[in-house]
Amino acid sequence: MLELFGSLGRYSIGKVGSLGRSAIMLFHSLVGAPNFRKHFPLLVKEIYFIGVQSIIIILVSGLFIGMVLGLQGFNILKDFMATGSLGTLVALAIIRELGPVVTALLFAGRAGSALTAEIGQLKASEQLSALEMMAVDPLRRVIAPRFWAGVISMPLLSILFCVIGIYGGKFVGVDWLGLDDGIYWSAMQGNVDFASDLIPMCIKALVFAIACVWIALFNGYDCKPTSAGISSATTATVVQSSLAVLGLDFVLTALMF
Amino acid sequence: MNTPSLISIKKLWFSYEGRSIYKDVSLEIPRGKITAILGPSGTGKTTLLRLIGAQLTPQQGEVLFDGINVHKLKRSELYRLRERMSMLFQSGALFQDMTVYENVAYPLFEHTSLPEEIIHSIVMMKLEAVGMRGAYKLYPSELSGGMSRRAALARSIVLDPDLVMYDEPFVGQDPITKGVLVKLISDLNRSLGITSVVVTHDVREILDVAHYVYILAEGQVLGQGTPDEIANSQDARISQFINGDYDGPYAFHLKGSSSYLEDL
Repeated sequence: MLELFGSLGRYSIGKVGSLGRSAIMLFHSLVGAPNFRKHFPLLVKEIYFIGVQSIIIILVSGLFIGMVLGLQGFNILKDFMATGSLGTLVALAIIRELGPVVTALLFAGRAGSALTAEIGQLKASEQLSALEMMAVDPLRRVIAPRFWAGVISMPLLSILFCVIGIYGGKFVGVDWLGLDDGIYWSAMQGNVDFASDLIPMCIKALVFAIACVWIALFNGYDCKPTSAGISSATTATVVQSSLAVLGLDFVLTALMF
Repeated sequence: MNTPSLISIKKLWFSYEGRSIYKDVSLEIPRGKITAILGPSGTGKTTLLRLIGAQLTPQQGEVLFDGINVHKLKRSELYRLRERMSMLFQSGALFQDMTVYENVAYPLFEHTSLPEEIIHSIVMMKLEAVGMRGAYKLYPSELSGGMSRRAALARSIVLDPDLVMYDEPFVGQDPITKGVLVKLISDLNRSLGITSVVVTHDVREILDVAHYVYILAEGQVLGQGTPDEIANSQDARISQFINGDYDGPYAFHLKGSSSYLEDL
C-alpha cells in the first residue's frame, strides 16, 4: 500500500515537474523582442513545412468527412421529410465540431509527431547544445518559429477543412442524391451565424493549435537523446495531443455553445 | 581582469540523477595554454565542459570564466559570455541541412552584421586553416568523421573565441586524422592564442601538445602537472592509466554484489 502511494507520489511529482519545464520552455521561447530580419524567414520556412505540407491530408479528409455527413444526413433526414436541412446539418456539424477537432487530430499525427522527432533528433545529435555554445538560444531559434508557425497554420487549415467538408456534403446531397442546390445553400445561410458558430470555431482551432504545438515541441525538447527516447516522445505527442484536443473540445463546447 | 587562469573551478560538487559525478573538484585552466583533461570513460569529463559552458549547474562550488561566475549570470548575460567560448562536440554537431560553408558562416550571421563578402572571406580563411576549403560546398552527410570534426572546428573558431573546449576530438579517428587534429589544436593555440581545454582519453596524442594535464577519476582530481610530470608519475593509478595496463588499482573485474560461484 505504502509502495502504491510512493509510486503515485513519484508519478505526480514527475508530471508536475514536466509541466513546469514545459511552461519555462514556452516562456523563454516567446518572451523577448523578435528580430524580424532573422526570425521572419525561419517562420515562413516552418509555415511551409508545418502548414502548407499538411494541406493535402486536410483537404482529402475534409472532403470525405463532408461526403459521409452528406450521405448519412440525407438518408436520415429523408425519413423525416427534412432533407432541406441537410446544408444546415453538414455546416454546423463541421464548423462547430468536426472541422477544428479533426484538423487538430490530423495535425497532431502529421505535423506534431514530425516536430517532436525533429527536435528530438536535433537534441540527440547535439545540435541544440551546439547552438547554445554558439551563443544562439535554441528556444528562440528552433522552438519559437515552429510554435508560431503551428499557431498560424492550424486555424487556417481548420477553415480549409470546413470549406471542403461543406462542398463534400454538397457533392453527395445535391450533385448525387438530387437535393436542390438553392435549398442546400439557403438553409446553411439561414442557420449558420458568424458570431455564434464561426468565431467559436476559430477560437477552438487556436486553442487546439497552442495545445498540440506546445505538447509536440516540449516532448521533443525534453526527450531522452536516444533513438528509443525519440520514439517514445513521438508516441507521447500523438497520444497526449489527441487526448488534450478531445478534452479541451468538451470544455470549450460547454463554455461557448 | 587578466589573471593567469582563464577558468577557475572551485570546490565543485555535481551529481546527476542521484549519481555523484564530482566531489569537491578544484582546478585552474591557464590562459593561452592547452590543458588536457584525462580520465577513464564515464568519469564525467564531458560533464565538466558542460559545467564550464553553464549548460549544467553544479549543486555546490563555482566556475569562474575570466573572473565571472558563469552560473550566477542572467540568461541574456550568459549568452553574451558564450560568444567568448566555443566547443567542439564529439559528433561535430554540424547542422545537417546546411553546407560546410553555411555551417561555418552561421555564427557570423547570428552575431554580426558583416556584409556577405566579408563573411565569405572570413569563412574561407577559417576553412583554409583547418584544410577544408575544398569541401565548402559539401553537406555534412558527404563528409568523413575526420572532415566533419575539422569543419566543426572551423565553425567553433569563426568568432575568434578566447576558449575552445574539445570534447573527445580523437574518438573514432584513424591515426592520420588524429595527427591532423593534434596539429590543428596546437597550431590554433599557437597562432591565435586560444585557450584550449581538451577532454580525451587518448593519452599519447595529447601529451605531445598539452602544456598542463589534469587526470580525473572517481569524481576527483587524481593528479596534475606538466606532461613530463604525469608521464613519470609514481602514482600507481596514474601510471596504469597512462600505460594502459588492463589490471591494477582499477580492477579488470567490476565489483558485484555476489561471488562468481554464486552467480554460476
